[in-house]
Amino acid sequence: MSQDIDPLDLEWRNRAVLAQEAGVPPGVHSLWIINKSGGLVYHKTYADIPHIDVNETMRLASMWHAIHAMSIQISPVEGCTGIELLETDQFDLRCTQTPTGTKFFVTAAPKTLGLEHLLRSVYDLYSDYVMKNPFYEMEMPIRCELFDTNVLSAVRNHNAQLGNY
Amino acid sequence: MQRKGPQISSVDRPLPKGKSEVSLSAFAFLFSEIVQYHRTRASSIAELERRLEDAGTGVGVRMLEILSYREKGNRREIRLQGILQFINTNIWRCLFGKVADSLEVYNDDEYVISDRSPLVNRFISVPKDLGDLNCAAFVAGIIKGVLDIAGFPAEVSAYYAPVEGQIHPRTNFFMKFSPEVLDREARLGT
Amino acid sequence: MAQRPTAPRGRNPEQTGQAAWMATEKVNAELFTLTYGAIVRQVLHDYEDCVEDVNKKLDSMGFDIGCRLVEDFLAKTSTTRCGDFKETAEVVAKVGLRLFLGIGTRVGEWNPEGTECVITLDTNPLADFVELPEKYRDLSFSQMLCGVIRGALEMVSVRVTCEWARDALRGGDGYAIRLL
Repeated sequence: MSQDIDPLDLEWRNRAVLAQEAGVPPGVHSLWIINKSGGLVYHKTYADIPHIDVNETMRLASMWHAIHAMSIQISPVEGCTGIELLETDQFDLRCTQTPTGTKFFVTAAPKTLGLEHLLRSVYDLYSDYVMKNPFYEMEMPIRCELFDTNVLSAVRNHNAQLGNY
Repeated sequence: MQRKGPQISSVDRPLPKGKSEVSLSAFAFLFSEIVQYHRTRASSIAELERRLEDAGTGVGVRMLEILSYREKGNRREIRLQGILQFINTNIWRCLFGKVADSLEVYNDDEYVISDRSPLVNRFISVPKDLGDLNCAAFVAGIIKGVLDIAGFPAEVSAYYAPVEGQIHPRTNFFMKFSPEVLDREARLGT
Repeated sequence: MAQRPTAPRGRNPEQTGQAAWMATEKVNAELFTLTYGAIVRQVLHDYEDCVEDVNKKLDSMGFDIGCRLVEDFLAKTSTTRCGDFKETAEVVAKVGLRLFLGIGTRVGEWNPEGTECVITLDTNPLADFVELPEKYRDLSFSQMLCGVIRGALEMVSVRVTCEWARDALRGGDGYAIRLL
């Protein structure tokens, strides 16, 4: 075993391992989609994590919307796209905001790879199975079966590819 | 095709070869808007389906004219089997890029064309409170338009049919032909 | 669902548009054209041939489409915010119209301030083989397309007016959209 351990590699192993030892499920935990006004339109969990009451999830989404907006406001240079990564000892949060103001974020085990790619896939699926659905009303909660099943597939594929399951 | 100077009447222009395409997305967005348009004007699921059928009829009528000329040299189908095969194969391939999954006989006057996943429904998730609404009623209308103009009047409707071992049901297009069609078939012999 | 290839970002709008068009799933244009014709006929019927109201309705339907279509556009082309109106017009023409309708376009006839231009379309799939009877001579048959562009841009905070500068169905030389 090599004595020269890359400090970044060590940090990666530490955070991921510590989280696992603490009982944090591997892979993707949840997906949240927030409309341009800060309203929660989609929230699904994909791992065994604590349940959050639906009203509370709406409050949290609204808070995230505000914090995200704040991050753009306090940025030193114009053109900031807001918070993209939030790291904690127990999970990572990857966020992307589209030019239309819709926010997608996923939570996952620390240092889970490929989350930006997953978010792009989810946006792709959103543009297909939500936007092209005549029964979806803009800015309202998403209740599209084809979106649900396709996103679930994408999350499962993502977890499988990274050897989490 | 550039047109300059005096307008060439559309009847004098050559028919399209049917090779030009648009993105599936463009069609899907247009169709979605059409469904929404009719939904605000329909007072029931049945009426919405009927409106979508009516919308499809005009497409079917024109599609038969184009295809009859382009693929069959204007030869008309005069037998029921012929027109059904034409719809099952030529119409489906031209509009949806594939042939229909099956054509079945139920009775002398009842036939079913089936499609595992109609193109028009590709991105549509029907909410539970709309029951078994099937937007492929539009395609039922296309079929009806083709049959009407070809001289085989029929009632056509679209409905879901569960498939064993498959999560998503297929769509059946049920055609019930008018008595005059059957009379004519009988006169022309089997 | 099979993995869909993401459209690679080209070096300029023309390349991006072509690449996106190559990558996208397509349907027979006739299905699109005939379906569009059917809704125009329906709207004419429902608005009792009042051409002015029909034009407005087609535009507002297009606007609704545009609000949704923009997400598909952004998802499939990974387009980021445009720097100025000139860039916006190029992207609408070279990427947007190419990706969705498969058509070639030219952006020109700019005013000196750079706030107004005309997008010339090589073809117009909405109006293929349509002829307007005399009573509909003021019908803007393809008005929905203008609404789509306006709606899409509105969602990214770009407010425009979009109208037909030249409409072959009304005696014009080809099809061209004015964007301002």
